[in-house]
Amino acid sequence: MKKKAQVSDRFRDFNANLTTRPWIVWGMGLRRFEKFFSTKNKIIMGLILIIYLWTLAFDVMLASGSENYPCVLRDNGDFFEEDGPLMVEFKDCGPLTYYGDLFTGGGIRILIVSLAAIASGGMIGNDMANKSLHLYLSRPISRIDYLIARFIPVFLLLLLVTAVPNLIVASAMWSDDGLKTEWLTNHKWLIVNILIQGIFYSAAYSIIGLTFSTILKKESNASLAFFLFVYGTSIIAELFFTILKAFGIDGADGVLLISVSHILDMISYAIFDVEYYVQAGFAPWKVDIGGTEVGVVFTFIFAGCCGFMYWMILQMEANK
Amino acid sequence: MIKATNVTKKYGGLKALDDFSVDIPEGKIGVLGPNGAGKSTFVKIALGLLTATSGEVTVLGEKLTKNTTHIRKRIGYMPEHDCVPDEMTGVEFLIEMGMVSGMSLAGATERTHEILGHLRMGEEKYRLIGEYSGGMRQKVKLAQGLIHAPELIFLDEPTSGLDPNARREMLETINGLTEVSNTKVLLSTHILQDVEMVCDTVIIVKDGKLQMHENVERIIGEKSNFIQVRVGGPVEDFVNELKKKKITADDDGRVIIVPYKDDSTYNQIIDATVKSNCLLYEMERTTQSMDSVYQEIIE
Repeated sequence: MKKKAQVSDRFRDFNANLTTRPWIVWGMGLRRFEKFFSTKNKIIMGLILIIYLWTLAFDVMLASGSENYPCVLRDNGDFFEEDGPLMVEFKDCGPLTYYGDLFTGGGIRILIVSLAAIASGGMIGNDMANKSLHLYLSRPISRIDYLIARFIPVFLLLLLVTAVPNLIVASAMWSDDGLKTEWLTNHKWLIVNILIQGIFYSAAYSIIGLTFSTILKKESNASLAFFLFVYGTSIIAELFFTILKAFGIDGADGVLLISVSHILDMISYAIFDVEYYVQAGFAPWKVDIGGTEVGVVFTFIFAGCCGFMYWMILQMEANK
Repeated sequence: MIKATNVTKKYGGLKALDDFSVDIPEGKIGVLGPNGAGKSTFVKIALGLLTATSGEVTVLGEKLTKNTTHIRKRIGYMPEHDCVPDEMTGVEFLIEMGMVSGMSLAGATERTHEILGHLRMGEEKYRLIGEYSGGMRQKVKLAQGLIHAPELIFLDEPTSGLDPNARREMLETINGLTEVSNTKVLLSTHILQDVEMVCDTVIIVKDGKLQMHENVERIIGEKSNFIQVRVGGPVEDFVNELKKKKITADDDGRVIIVPYKDDSTYNQIIDATVKSNCLLYEMERTTQSMDSVYQEIIE
């Protein structure tokens, strides 16, 4: 009897020692991030493995000792007559090629987009579908805290396949150069750009992925819709771009703004101060869109995504 | 415990709460009302999940401003609907909820096993929630609301969808667990028996307005304690005889309802029967359930 009373007293007088909101949010995010590496997530682990093997094989081992890292000036003279109308000279940077398509530049965009689609698909949608969202929001966190907590794991996972592999490649190049301090000093810009570019792509794909998760609620549908959205708009934009260029119609460049992946690439190229070219037909065409236009469209899309997610959560709460 | 002053909540043109004012004392409180009365809206406003269109709410002495998160450290919430994820075990889910409340892993783990022990979950706590029965899911839902040792827990229709046995067990669990953890309760329900079994005070809400705020025992004691009498013969004379004894009886055509004061009421009824030349067929002390009191207020 005495023992029972002691247990009850301990239960009654329990001190939960609750931590602060930022730690709760970080904790939520990191725990979900950790879950990506559980044995249940074989596809995610498989994609990460492929990305790293690809990077090691093509960017580290094959490119090791090459003179053209990080950037090299190229031309397409192999295909077109020198000084012809389609003849262009362009700067080719390894960290930019990395985010390109498999067939055009040997990049691994398709793998990154697939990973983002799978990782973000059920992140918010599952909480909405099984209604556990209400339980999360009844805790000492706000709706924005919740969204940040769901953003963190996808963002960290994508950083792992965007900035980190590029940093590994940069480290390999540094190693090839004999790990000289001078190389680091001369390539400080490269490290910063790789980081900014990685953060930028990871954040953008995370936010779009979470938005689809919020809209569709069903994990597989959200993943598929995200993938089709990124690639579908890109294909449509390139198709229209090619047609308009072929007929010499003005405003072809503006069509690319309907494609999220092209907008992201334009900003990524701007980070490296490289002119943006798009392959139309067999020739690369320089895209001439002002930074303000790209910035406005980008802000509109991502502010819209964030606002929409917040609104959806608010609606769900009010309705049930 | 909770004080609402002139609270109005509008959803478009619809008023879920209409100039709602109440001062709820500490203890186990039942918020009773038909579906759509505004109970859940009131709970969500008190929880800081919804913001009132106008008016002021104070919970545990803290004034709720827009989207207050701090107060939720002191409050637990058990929603009405099924909201527990199937793909987690009971233990995993409770630890996660504890940590989302701000507990450490060690603290959440310790508390999880203690609560599940009180709920007599046994080894089932290691099974996936998707394999749980309705009653067990409700228990887990209750447990997540108490995981961070809140001072007050909001229970929104906790017996919804349960069969009578599971319902009784759930109410007993609520009583036991909240008593052992010394947690105050705000129980929102449309089932009267739940309030009778758990709460010591009831507020009745209808159309977003407060209809009644009373101690449960007093309602049952004052309004529901009577003797049901069936007599043959001149019923009017019988009622008049009772009137002479300063007893107001109510003849509903089938039985005569006589308020019970003490055991001498029986003798007064027998005496009135003899004096009015009636035949006494039946005399039974009974308690009217809160149901009729509720119906009276609602209608």
